[in-house]
Parts: sequence; structure tokens; C-alpha cells
Amino acid sequence: MAKKTYDLLFKLLLIGDSGVGKTCLLFRFSDDAFNTTFISTIGIDFKIKTVELGGKKIKLQIWDTAGQERFHTITTSYYRGAMGIMLVYDITNGKTFENISKWLRNIDEHANEDVEKMILGNKCDMEDKRQVPKERGDGIAREHGIPFLETSAKANINVEKAFMDLAQAILNKTPGRDAEPRGVQMDHRESGGKKGCC
Amino acid sequence: MAAFRVRLQEFDETLNAEVIDMKRFRKLCFNGCPYEQSYRSTCWKLLLNYLPRERSTWKQVEEKQRKTYAQFIDEMIIKPGVKASQDGVICDVTFEDHPLNPNPDSKWAAYFRDNEMLVQIDKDCRRLCPDLNFFQKATEFPSIDLVCGNNKVDTLRKRVEQCVLRSETVATNRLGISNMRTSRLRSNSEGYATLAEGQEAHWEVCERILFIYAKLNPGLGYVQGMNEILGPLYYVFASDPSRELREHAETDSFFCFTNLMSEIRDNFIKTLDETQLGIGSLMNKMMIMLEDKDATLCHKLQEQELKPQFFAFRWLTLLFSQEFPLPDVLRIWDSLFSDEKRFSFLICVACAMLILLRDDLIQGDFPSNMKLVQNFPHSIIDVQTVIKKAVELAR
Repeated sequence: MAKKTYDLLFKLLLIGDSGVGKTCLLFRFSDDAFNTTFISTIGIDFKIKTVELGGKKIKLQIWDTAGQERFHTITTSYYRGAMGIMLVYDITNGKTFENISKWLRNIDEHANEDVEKMILGNKCDMEDKRQVPKERGDGIAREHGIPFLETSAKANINVEKAFMDLAQAILNKTPGRDAEPRGVQMDHRESGGKKGCC
Repeated sequence: MAAFRVRLQEFDETLNAEVIDMKRFRKLCFNGCPYEQSYRSTCWKLLLNYLPRERSTWKQVEEKQRKTYAQFIDEMIIKPGVKASQDGVICDVTFEDHPLNPNPDSKWAAYFRDNEMLVQIDKDCRRLCPDLNFFQKATEFPSIDLVCGNNKVDTLRKRVEQCVLRSETVATNRLGISNMRTSRLRSNSEGYATLAEGQEAHWEVCERILFIYAKLNPGLGYVQGMNEILGPLYYVFASDPSRELREHAETDSFFCFTNLMSEIRDNFIKTLDETQLGIGSLMNKMMIMLEDKDATLCHKLQEQELKPQFFAFRWLTLLFSQEFPLPDVLRIWDSLFSDEKRFSFLICVACAMLILLRDDLIQGDFPSNMKLVQNFPHSIIDVQTVIKKAVELAR
């Protein structure tokens, strides 16, 4: 076996309507670059980035999904293994924000109960085309008890922070933090009650 | 070079026959259709059953189809557009039908539903083959009726821009109070160059083809990925060496796309995913073949839980159009379309790609293997090698 180059493995998932910028956010985070001309994601895409958090080397395995309804049967099968889910909408497109509640229902149906979530309002550099006031994003996030950030993959606003915050939230729930990547998911599951939500 | 001339001559002979010998013709095409002298365009039209075997009927068939397509544009874009622009001006709610008519059968309701679909098509066509300048350039042959006509109908692109603008004008705050927000027109959005008035980019032509297809196939509608099937077809017809063929690229692409879709549409239908007809069963077939040809590799993937959904879904649905650069895609499609048992060779190509990556896949861990199958190293393993291997597997 090859020598392990990381202490923990976190699986993250990006979901949201088509065209909100999921692939661009991921590209900004993984390659620190921006590209306006991405082809549409068909099915699922995949990226890896290793980060350091709390003295641990954490390997983030990030799944990027297609937004259109047609792909839901394929993409929902990844929900189960995900430890963190980024829910993305486009602040210049009201419809993508309205659909956030639909995506939240999807998470409830298909993901682990204790999955960490985060809502992102992307394209916040395009202030002149804004349709969704920041307060509305804040509102729905507060209502569901989910952290919220406005981001811009293009202007590199809050992208790193979003992924790191989500990773931190997962790390906080990981007990012992013993470096056994395979077991992480199970440990993480058992620690679900620790937050004392119920 | 001599061999190439011999090949061209063979194409010449086969295609000039009164009635084309399809068996011989398929065999020729399977090894690649030349771009020269419009061979590829003609071959694809024949292979996709757009043109019949009888050469003498071609002209007649093409003329008929061109008329039919013009009629589609008229019925599905121009007439509703004219109505929209007239009613938009004199909008009296006492009319039988009006934009706020809540009746789902209202023509207006249909118009707005269409717009929703159109927004999706528009997004995807704008980002068609982004590494290629071609789709952003103006076509030499814009739709005369739409772009140059006097009937004041908006092109589909403009219609999308307007419908985005409309939905932008009203915003509701948290107290439920609606207020008008002023906002600039979304033209030139996100850094895309807009062409001068009277011009139309190739991607706009693709947008129109997909819109008409979706209107004609309401059960299927538009599904993301269809753009990636249309793209290479349209590219072949619209960049043909013959001006006459280029002029009719839109019609030809439309019908070839329709015929091709009739064979692969099940892959796009979500409700068929788990049935014998859908993409799920196609991926199963691939895994069965892989197990037969290379059991060790197949088990390695299974053990790693590297499911075909993670990569083969895209490979097979899009006929590899996102896995290779466009010229290679065209070459693979020559073979796929020539396959008499369409599309069994598709499975062979997919297995060939996996087997050619075998050494790395056996060694690699899950993430590195995922990266590999999601980004097939076409610069190291070229398309000829892939096809050669696939032919070997097909035996």
C-alpha cells in the first residue's frame, strides 16, 4: 500500500440548479482560477484537494453534480456518502433561489441525517444584476440553521472560506480525529448526537 | 499519400453508384470518413438515414426536408413570436387570451413555459465546445426569416434576454411587498461577445435546432447533453468545404440530429434509467463485456466502488463527445455510425478505453482512478489506438 499522505478524508457534494456556477466554484477552489466557458456538467464530476486544518492534513473529495432534473436519479446516489453538502444558488437569478427549498428537501430525503450543510449565493460580484437580496439568503439559512455565504468564483470572494468552513464543521464533529480515513464516516455518524440537537 | 488517394477513389466509386452498396459503404466509413470533397457530410447523412440509398432521389429528399424545416421555424418560432409582439403592444385583458391568463391551455402559458426551456437551451448552447472559436463566430447563413426578415420577431437569444429581464423587474422583500427594481438589460452577459445586428452566431443556430426539436418532442423536451450530440453534427455540416452544403447546415443538422436521437433518446429519459432500454442497462452491458475481456480490471473497479455512473454515464450518453477533442470525436463517430448493430461498438470503445488504462487503474487508488476515467488521457493514448483496441474487442 502507498503511504498515506493525509489524516482524514472528507467527502463533499455540490448541488444546485443548472448554471449557478457549481463547477466554477470548485475550479476556483481547486485550481485557483476562473473560466467563464465551462461546458455543462453531465452526470457528475470529481475533484480532490488536500487542505490543512487544525494541524491535520485533510483530503477533500469533492463531487460536482449536474443541475438539471434529469440527472437527479444518478446524483442522489452520492448524497448518502457525503459528509458535507454545498447548496448553491445564483444571486442574479431568483428562480435558482426559490429552488433552494426543493434542494433542501432532496437532502432530507437522500443524505445522512447529520450531514453538514452550507448555502452559497454565488455571482455576488454582479451587483447590478442582483435579484436575490442578501437578507433573503440569510433568512432561509437562519430558518434551517445552516451557515450562509455570498460568494463569487469570478472575483474570488469567500470561495476558500466556504470550503474551509464546511470542512471545519465536519472536523468539529469528528471525534478523536484518529487518522483512519476509511473509518471516518462511521465515527462521524456516531458522533451525530454530540451536538445535542435532539 | 497514394493510399489516401486510393481511399478517396473508393469513396468516390461507392458513392457514385446509382444505388449505394451499404455494406461496402459502411465498411469504408468505419475506417474514417474523409473531410475532403464533403465526404464526411454525405456519409453521415447516409449512415443516419437522412439520405436514401438511391442517389437519384437525394435532391428531391433534401428539397422536401428543407421546406419542412422552414415550416417548423414558421410555426414554432415566427408565428408565436409575431403574436407575442402584437399582443404585447395592444394588451387588453378583455381579450380571450392574454399574458396573465391563468388557464394552462392558454397560448401565453405555453409561451412562458417555452421560455423556461429556452433559458436552459440558451445557457448550454453558449457554452458549446468552448475550446473552439467556431461556435462563437457568425454563420454565413443566418435564418433569413428571423434575422433579416421584416416581421419583427425576436431571435431566440433575444427572447431569452427579455424573459430574464422581465423576471428581474419585480422583487419581493421579506415583508411580502413587491417593488420594481430597475436593472439593465442582460445583453452581453457574462463576457460573451454579441454580434452585430443581422448576424447570428453558430451557437444560436444550434439553439434554434434544439428548441424546435424539443417542441416537436414534448415528451422528451430538452435534456442537458443533447447540445453535445448536436454540436459535432452541426460542426461537420457547417464547416463543410462545399458552400452549397454549408448553406443548408441547419436543416441537415436538424434531421440528422433527430434521426440520431431516435436511436439514443432512451439514454436521456430519466424514467428509463433502471429499465432494459435506458442508460443503466447500457452501463451494465459495458461492465459485462469488461468482465468478459478483463475480469481482473472489472473486479478492481467493483472493489473500489468506482461505479460506471461516475464516468460511463457521460461517456455513453454523449457518445464520447466530452472525452476527446472534436476532430477525434468525429473520427469515433464515423465508426459508431457505421456500426450495423448500432450501438454495440459504443460499448467496445468504452471497454477499450478502460483496458488501455488498465495498468494505471490496477495500481491506482480511488481518487486517482476517478481522475483518470473522468479525464481520459487522449494526448497519450490517441484515438486510433482506442479504435484499434475496440475493433479487437468486437471480434
